[in-house]
Amino acid sequence: MYGGDEVSAIVIDVGSYSCKAGYAGDDTPKAVFPSVVGSIEQTGETDEAKADKEAEAASDSKNGAKPMDVDKAKTKRKLYVGQELEFRRDHMEVISPMKDGTVTDWDIVDNIWNHAFRQRLLINPEEHPMLIAEPSTNTGQQREKAAELMFEKYKVPALFLAKNAVLTSFASGRATSLVVDSGGGSTVVAAVHDGYVLQKSVATSPIGGEFLTDCMMKSLESKGVVIRPRYSFKKKEVGPGEYKVVDLDLPNTTESYKLYCMKWHMQTFLQLHMSFQMDNSMSVRGLPRMVIDSVNRCDVDIRKELLSSILLSGGSSSILQLKERLEKEVLEESSGNTRVKVLASGNSVERRFSVWIGGSILASLGSFQQMWFSKAEYEEHGVSYIQRKCP
Amino acid sequence: MANAASGMAVDDECKLKFLELKAKRTYRFIIYKIDEKKKMVVVEKVGEPVLNYDDFAASLPANECRYAIFDYDFVTEENCQKSKIFFIAWSPDTSRVRSKMIYASSKDRFKRELDGIQVELQATDPTEVGLDVIRGRAN
Repeated sequence: MYGGDEVSAIVIDVGSYSCKAGYAGDDTPKAVFPSVVGSIEQTGETDEAKADKEAEAASDSKNGAKPMDVDKAKTKRKLYVGQELEFRRDHMEVISPMKDGTVTDWDIVDNIWNHAFRQRLLINPEEHPMLIAEPSTNTGQQREKAAELMFEKYKVPALFLAKNAVLTSFASGRATSLVVDSGGGSTVVAAVHDGYVLQKSVATSPIGGEFLTDCMMKSLESKGVVIRPRYSFKKKEVGPGEYKVVDLDLPNTTESYKLYCMKWHMQTFLQLHMSFQMDNSMSVRGLPRMVIDSVNRCDVDIRKELLSSILLSGGSSSILQLKERLEKEVLEESSGNTRVKVLASGNSVERRFSVWIGGSILASLGSFQQMWFSKAEYEEHGVSYIQRKCP
Repeated sequence: MANAASGMAVDDECKLKFLELKAKRTYRFIIYKIDEKKKMVVVEKVGEPVLNYDDFAASLPANECRYAIFDYDFVTEENCQKSKIFFIAWSPDTSRVRSKMIYASSKDRFKRELDGIQVELQATDPTEVGLDVIRGRAN
């Protein structure tokens, strides 16, 4: 059991679009950065790798100790995370660790965590308990993998895994609710009953914010508007108030990087201009259906209660009028005189970070400290104990 | 089994008052709150049996979370006197996220202490604990 609440815990939520990390007890995450990485396949010996090797050899001969990330040098690709992604590099592909809302590439997740701890929060993970928000669809295997990585590589003193839907539900004061989490990569509908996710009710759809961005890009393209990523041109001030735009030709830029740049900036733009009237019929069609299907897979006794507390969260849920529309359409689709109520926080920051905020509060509760899965327990019972500690 | 729960303790007084309400019917309602300093759920207020629903509704603070027990008396269609014990988790939208979180995560544990709850309600605004809702759920 871990009882120290004097060292604050770290809460980290790696979503399909952005990664949120910060201290428990804060009301917004300290670091928010894209949860994609740039990767350069290292076929031959590049200059950089050579320099690295030489430096390594030098340090080896000096003190005989091996540098910390020796395994990183062995991997064939070089990964760039966070701000390092802001610079264009030749042949850099942008890849995401997630596919359909679940983690497929742990190496990338590892890099993202590492970046969050050491570059953004500037902490030593060995000193802080860690609360990780995981997708509701996570399998037991994935949870074990996450726990193993955290204990073995980062040597965290204590760990807790909490499901996204549960955190969202708690953050809005309900232990039973139907959580509609519309994020960047996907939309997940999950029923939470008394603090547990009902696994059979979980429904996912690949339509999320990125899909909307794609649609918007297509529609702009069809109108003949060309969107240029920022790196592809230079703006020079030739005279006071006079600007000259010079196009740059960078043939080695990969397609995925170009797309990433355009999307990230467009998304920022969309978030700033939420009053932007978007034709959201694409994303909303099917959502009421998903909600009804999900509810129907639950026990008949709790259906009424679920329908009367549908929680809307995630970055894409800030679309104008989504709440009203969802409420109306679910009401039309549901049978009889059921009460349908869609709840969403009026504060868009709270909606975007609802999962993180939930985790932040949970981890900062004095009375929560006995719930941690501690390093001692990990060593005693092994990694599968996580399933018992954090159901 | 461990859950994503806060692990707030429950004051013995909570159980005693509830048993009195259930067995002796000495109260109309009980309002509980979480004392963050003591890390436990405590009784905030009790209502005499002569009080009615309106007094109960007035006792719920507008922007703070509470748990509440309400003993609802009604007459069925067959002209039969009945009563049902309601458990209400009150967490208005305007309350602090932190307190909503604490109340939601402690609810399950607290509810298990009170044996004999017949209907459970979650409410974020007064319409969700309206007399019509209570009447609807009682039948």
